[in-house]
Amino acid sequence: MVLRQRTVRLRLTMLYGALFVGSGGCLLAITAFLIVHTPPGQFVSVQQQAGSALPPIGGRAPSRAANDTTSAVSWTGLPHLLLICGIALAFMAVVSVGLGWFMARRMLRPLHTMTVTARRISERNVHERLAVDGPPDELKDLGDTFDELLGRLEKALAAQRQFAANASHELRTPLTLERTLLESILTHPHPAPETWRSTCERVLASSKQQARLIEALLVLSRSQQELDHREPVDLAAVAASAARSGAAEAAARQVRVGTILSPGCVLGDAQLIERLVSNLLQNAVRYNVPAGRVHITTGQASLRVINTGPRIPADQVGRLLQPFQRLGGQRAGSHDGVGLGLSIVAAIAAAHGAALTARPGPEGGLDVEVTFPVTSVPTGPCPGSVESQSG
Amino acid sequence: MRVLLVEDHAELAGVVADVLRREGMAVDVAFDGAAALERTAVNDYDVVVLDRDLPGVHGDDVCRALVTAGRESRVLMLTASGAVQDRVAGLELGAEDYLAKPFALAELIARIRVLGRRRRSLPPVLVRGDVCLDAAHRLVTRAGRRLDLSPKEFAVLEVLLEADGAVISAEELLERAWDEAADPFTTTVKQTIMRLRRKLGEPPFIETVAQAGYRV
Repeated sequence: MVLRQRTVRLRLTMLYGALFVGSGGCLLAITAFLIVHTPPGQFVSVQQQAGSALPPIGGRAPSRAANDTTSAVSWTGLPHLLLICGIALAFMAVVSVGLGWFMARRMLRPLHTMTVTARRISERNVHERLAVDGPPDELKDLGDTFDELLGRLEKALAAQRQFAANASHELRTPLTLERTLLESILTHPHPAPETWRSTCERVLASSKQQARLIEALLVLSRSQQELDHREPVDLAAVAASAARSGAAEAAARQVRVGTILSPGCVLGDAQLIERLVSNLLQNAVRYNVPAGRVHITTGQASLRVINTGPRIPADQVGRLLQPFQRLGGQRAGSHDGVGLGLSIVAAIAAAHGAALTARPGPEGGLDVEVTFPVTSVPTGPCPGSVESQSG
Repeated sequence: MRVLLVEDHAELAGVVADVLRREGMAVDVAFDGAAALERTAVNDYDVVVLDRDLPGVHGDDVCRALVTAGRESRVLMLTASGAVQDRVAGLELGAEDYLAKPFALAELIARIRVLGRRRRSLPPVLVRGDVCLDAAHRLVTRAGRRLDLSPKEFAVLEVLLEADGAVISAEELLERAWDEAADPFTTTVKQTIMRLRRKLGEPPFIETVAQAGYRV
C-alpha cells in the first residue's frame, strides 16, 4: 500500500516533469522556427529585445550583434541562443520536478490520512471518522462518502450487538430459571411431594417457552435470508386458515375476529407468508382488550390487520418491530410471547420486498398493512383460491 | 442479613427469594430499577443482588445511584452476559461482585454471605462462648452439640452474634432479620427469641436488657 502510494506520487512527479519539459521544448522549437523564418528587418528588433533581456554570454556583447545586419547574424547567433534556452529549460525542469514531488505529496496527503484511518477502523472503533477537512473537492467528497458508509455500518453493527445481547438475555433467562428451580428443590431439606410436582411442572413450562424462543429465532434467521423459491400463494386462503387456527385463543381472550377476504395472489414462500399472517393475527389477539376486535382484510397483493387494544404512542410503533421489544419498555419473558412476533413479520415482509406499514389503530391497538410489490403478483390463477366474508 | 433482590423475571425472583429465605436471610424483591431505588432509600440492606438488564431504570444506573448516594449496601450484579468487558464495566460502576446467568444457587448464596460479612468486617464463622455459627454451612452448635434452628431463629442469632455483645433492640432485629412482608410487630421478635432460648438451652445465652433490647 505504501509502495503504491509512492508510485502514484512518483507518477505524478514524472508527469509534471514530462509536461514541463515537453511544453518548454515546444516553446523553444517555436522560437527557433520564428527566428529562422522571420524577414531580417523584423528580426533585428526581436534580437535587440532578446539581447537586452538575456545577459551576455561568451564575451559577445549584444550591442555588437544588433549592429550587424543581414540574416547571417541570426544564423550564427541561433545555436548559441538555443543552447542558453536549453540550459535554462534543463535547470527549470529539475526545479519543476522537485516542486512536482513536493506538490504531489501535498495533494496526496489527505489520501494518506484516509488510508491510515481506514486501516485503523475495525469493528471495535467503528465510531471513528475520517473527517477530512479542506476545500470541497474530490478528495473531501470521497472522505465524506466513506464517513457516511461508516455511519451506516456503525448503525448496523450496533443493531446486531443489541440483538445478540437481547437474544442472549432471553435464552439465558429460562435456563437460569430451570437451574434455580432444580437446585432449589434438590437443596431443600424436607421437600413435600407436591413441591416436587410443582417444580417439575414449572421446569417443563420453562423449557417449552425456551423451545418456542429457539424456534422463533430460527424462523427469524431464515426469514432474513434471500428466498430460495417462490410459488403462488393466496393471501385470502392463508388468512382464512390462520383465523381458523387462532379461533380458540381468540375465544379464550374474548376477542372477536372478523375477516373481509378477497383473493390476493402473490409469489412467495408459502410457509413464511403463513407465518407472517399467523404472527400478525396472534399479536393482534394477544395485545388486545377484553371484548376487543381484530379485523383481517386481504386485497390485491395486500393484507391488513387492525386490532383494538391499549393505546400505542405513534413514536413507539417502530420500536415494536424490533426484536424483544414490548410496549412500555417491557421486555419479553414477562409475557407469554417470546417478543419476536413482529420482528419476524418485518423480516418476512423485507425478504419478499413487501412494504410494511404499522401505525396506531383508531381505537388503540395497531393497524398493520403489508403490501407486496406488483412484480410478485403471478399472472396465472392461484391454486385453491377462496373468497369469503365473515364477522 | 438483609438482602434486596432486584430481578425483572418475576418467577425467577420468587424462586431465588424463597431459597435465600430458607438460608436465613431477610429478602425483599423489586422487579424494576425504580422500585429498587425506592426500597434502598427506605431500608438498609446488607447486600443488593442486582440484575443488570432491568426494564425502565437500567441496572447500571441503579448501581451508580447506590454508590453515589453513599449507601453501604454491597452490590452483587447478575447478568446474562459473562463477557470480561461486561464484568469489568459492572465492577467499575461500583458493584462488589459479578455473577453470570445461569448461576449455581450455592455460588450465589456463598457470594452474598461473603459480601454481607465484608460489609461488617466479620469472620466466616461467628463464635461467642460455646456457641458457634457457621453461616456457609447453615450450622449452629453449642458446646459441640448441633442445634436445629428455623431460618428466622438462625437469622436472629446471627444478628446477635454479629453485634458481638452489644445490645440490639427489637426494632433493629426486625429491621435486619425480617423482610418487608413480615408482621411488623416486636411481639414476633419476642416469640422468636423465646424459641431460640429454648433451643439454645442452659446456661442462658441471650440476655434481655430492660428497655433496650437483647445481647449475647
